[in-house]
Order: sequence, then C-alpha cells, then structure tokens
Amino acid sequence: MIQSLILSTLMFGAMFSVLTVSLNLQYARGGMINFGTVAYFAAGAYAYAIFTQEPPSGLDQYAFGFDLPWWVGFLAAGLAAMLFALVTGWPTLRLRGEYLALTTFAFAEVFHSILLNERRIGNGSVGMANVERPDPASIGLDDTLGYTLAACALMLLTAWLFHRLLASPYGRLVDATRDDEIAAESVGKDTARVRLQIFVISAIPIGFAGALYAMITTLVAPALFTAEVTFFVWIALALGGERTIPGAILGTLALVFFQELVRAIPFETVRGAQIAASAEEVITGILFILVLRWQPWDRLSRKAGS
Amino acid sequence: MTLFLQFVLTGLVTGCFLILATIGFSFTRRVEGFLNIAHAELLGVSAFATWGCNKLLGWHILPSAAVGIVVTAFAGLAIGRIVYDPIRRLGPSVMLITSVGVAYAIGGTIDALIGTGIRTLDIPLATSIRFWGLRITDYQLIVVVLAILCSASLALFLNRTKTGLAIRAMSANPELAASRGIDVKKTSRATWLISSGLAGVAGVMLGVIATLSTDIAFHQILQILAVAILAGLGSLYAVIVSGLIVGVAMDVSVFWIPAGYRPLVAFAVVILVLLFRPQGIAGSASGK
Repeated sequence: MIQSLILSTLMFGAMFSVLTVSLNLQYARGGMINFGTVAYFAAGAYAYAIFTQEPPSGLDQYAFGFDLPWWVGFLAAGLAAMLFALVTGWPTLRLRGEYLALTTFAFAEVFHSILLNERRIGNGSVGMANVERPDPASIGLDDTLGYTLAACALMLLTAWLFHRLLASPYGRLVDATRDDEIAAESVGKDTARVRLQIFVISAIPIGFAGALYAMITTLVAPALFTAEVTFFVWIALALGGERTIPGAILGTLALVFFQELVRAIPFETVRGAQIAASAEEVITGILFILVLRWQPWDRLSRKAGS
Repeated sequence: MTLFLQFVLTGLVTGCFLILATIGFSFTRRVEGFLNIAHAELLGVSAFATWGCNKLLGWHILPSAAVGIVVTAFAGLAIGRIVYDPIRRLGPSVMLITSVGVAYAIGGTIDALIGTGIRTLDIPLATSIRFWGLRITDYQLIVVVLAILCSASLALFLNRTKTGLAIRAMSANPELAASRGIDVKKTSRATWLISSGLAGVAGVMLGVIATLSTDIAFHQILQILAVAILAGLGSLYAVIVSGLIVGVAMDVSVFWIPAGYRPLVAFAVVILVLLFRPQGIAGSASGK
C-alpha cells in the first residue's frame, strides 16, 4: 500500500516534473507564459503512439501506424513536440504577457479539438489503446519499478541539461533577454531568436515526457490531454517557488503525492469518492492562492541568503 | 438558403449569450487590469444557485433567478476583496495565475455540493416563434433582449452616473483618480458587484437555454476568452461586435464542417486576429 503509493508518486511525479522544469525554463528564465503546455505533451504522446502502433485494422480509424521500435517512437515524440513548438512559437512569441498566455492556450484548445474530431489521427475520442512499450522484464525489472526509474532518469537528465544550459554564458543571455530586452538588443543580441530557442528547447523534454506517459498508461486519448494538465503543471510550479529547478521538482512531487494520497483512500460509495475528488480540487486551488499570495519560499530563500 | 439563415439566426442568439457572458469579464479586465479565469465559474455559481431555489425549494423561476444573480454578485465581491485585492501589487500575471486557483476552488465546491449528472430548471417548455420559415424560441428571445438591456444599461451607467465615471477614471489612471479624491475601495467594490452580477445574469440564462452539468462553466471560459481577445482586451463596446462575430462564425461553420469543430472555429478566429491584429478589433493600444 505505502510502497505502491510512493512508487506511483515517484513515477507520475518525476514525469510531470519534466513538464514543470521545462515550464520553469520558459517562465522563470525566459519570461514567457505558456498556457498551452498540454499541447506539446499530447504531441509527444500521439507521435509515440502513431510511430509504434501497428497499421490500422478492423475498427481502427487512424490512418497511420508505422509499427516501429519504441526508441524510434520516443525520438519522434521529442521531434514532434519540437516541431509543434516551432510552428506555434514562431508567430506568437512577439506577443507579450497575457496575450502570449492566451494564444498558447488557444493553440492547445485547437490541437485538442483536432485530436478529438479528426479520427484519422488517433481514432478521435476513443483514442489509441494498447500502445506498444518496451518490457522492463527483459532487463529483470518489475513493470512499475522500471517505468519509475525511467521517469526519474528523464527528469534528472532534463534538470541537469537545463542547469548546465542556464549556468553557461547562454543562460546569462536568456536572463538579459527577460530582464531588459532593449538593453540586450542594444548590445547586439537577437532577443526574438533567443526567445524562440528557449521555447523550442524546453518543448523537447515535454514531448519525451508525453511518450513516457503513453508507455505508462498504454493509452492515448484526447480526454487525457485537457487544459487541466496545463493548470496542474502551473500549480506545481507555483507551489515549488517558481524560480529554481529543485523547487519545480519538489512542488510537482508534493502535488502528485497529495493527489495519489486522496486516490489511495478506499471509498464505500461513489458519492464519497466524488466528494473526495472535489475536495482535492478545492484544496489544490486554495493552496495555490495562498502560495501566490504569501510566496513563502521566496521569503525563506531571501532569509537564507542574507 | 433558409437553413443557412437559420444557422445565422441561431448564431446571433449564441452571440448574444456570449455578450452577456463576456461583458463582465471584459469589465473586470478593464478596471482591475487582469484576466479573471474564474469568471466563468461564477456563471456556474449563478446557474446552480438558481437551480437550487427553483428545483430544490420549489420556488418560481423569477425569484430564483434574482437570488442566483444576487448570490453571484456578492460571491464575486467577496472573492475580489479577499483574494485579488491583496495581490494587486504583484502584477497582472500573478493575478491571472491566481484566478486559475480560484476557478479550481469554485469548480470543486460546486462539484462537491451538486454532484455529477444533468440538471434542468423547472420552467415551461420553450415555444417557438416562426417567421419567414425561420424559428426562434421564446427563451432565445429573452437572451437577445437581456444582452441588449445589459450592454445598454452598462453603457449608460459608465457614462452618466457618478460611480460609473469614477470607475472609468480609475481604469484609465488609478493614481490620478485616487489623488483627485475618488474612493478607490468603493469604486473597486462596485466593479466587482457589477461584473459578477453580469456573470450571474449570464449564468441564469445558461440554465434556461441549456442543460446544466457541473463542468459547464469550464467550457464557457474558452468562448469567453475567444470573444474577449477578439474584442481587444478591456474594450466594452467591441465585445458586442465580437460576441456576434464569434457566435455566428461558430454556428454557421456547422453548415460546412462537422459540428465537433464548433469550439475550434472560435479559437481559429482568435489566433488569426492575434497574429494579424494583436490589439483586437477595437484597435486601441490597450495591450500593455
């Protein structure tokens, strides 16, 4: 019971941490509010499913299934998220603040609507079930444990790469672009390009996380990729203090742990479970408001610094 | 051709509903300076408060609707005072993200109280009125009339009354308004009451023309955002035009493409507008 709680917290927590860490790069360092995170996540998951799924047969309505090995699908997931970020980022990044937030949100909604209605991509609302995945048993690991380790590895790799990237001179260029665009421009930096680069780079791990999500759930369906995922990641980011990579990861783990804990409570009635789910939503929302209001982590770090 | 015109007519009704739903949202954006994602949840509060009075207590629809609107207006005021006022100094981005938390809290509360399933109000069945081969129901007509009434009275209020002028002064320049002796707190209270009250009106109409389920509010925010962006955030008169554009575009699109794409059409319009005219159709440079 406790073991499975910890394992699933680690598995989903590490996977969503990849999203939070990427969002942290976009928002805290790049100054871009991306309210369409789920679209890149979905793009990765769908790309993985399409590349690894067998060609359509019987009642399947999807047009493409390439039946390729999982690692091809995994690479395709990163590539798909990257391409989607290029396509959506190039026209929108000249917008600022809330306008950028709204356009990315709109893009995510359009993408979701296409996945839902265009049956030739992934069976429409039914989605694609039985997604192929590598079997951890082949290297002697339990299923859950294997994917937990994979999620943690992806998370650590993403965190390490982003940390290296931001500690380099390039990271200072990113900070300069966020803090004072005119100043950065005046010393000859192409700020529009930096913003697009950050946007695209941070989308790649989100795509990989999408592929991992498809492997863990073995299902991709539009209902899994709603705006709630975006909001979830934003709440996790705010919980963690929104400035640092470890903060982003801790925030996500805490939020996932909280959700898994509520889910682990056995309920006698459907109504009871439903009330618990609603209560979870309310508490998440209130936590979010409180954290943004008082920003306790910022204060703590300032105290530690002084 | 008649069928096409029927779609246009239904689109105009949808547009009028969108005007009702968006006008309070744009009002908040203009005066308080941020996008209140939780605005759509207030529609849910109103719709279910009305439903509770109407169905559970067995009241007539009119007093129920009045209770729904008043409850929503004061709920919005309370949220504004408790949640948004203290964080105003942190800027519109933090307020925008906070409002997502508020939406979660309200949505979860409604879920817990009401539960899943589809609800309808206890009102007479709609009767349709026919003319030139077109049909419109009496409830749809009420939506149109209310949209006209609400926008007209809001315009009169902002242009003619003292409080309305104070609100406009505050939205243009808060510091200057305060230094000229306008009571900022009182004005802010009036703003929250009005914008939430308008959400209340829209929520009641939502209950009248549609069936209610607890996730209904969330779907509204997508369309509200579409209309608000198209209008140019914060502009009130353009909301009327853009509400009608989005409504007609969504409903007429059904004529050519599958109905499932209806919400997509709203956002396709938004993306196009933002790419070519980021300041919206109103054309003022209020995008800062």
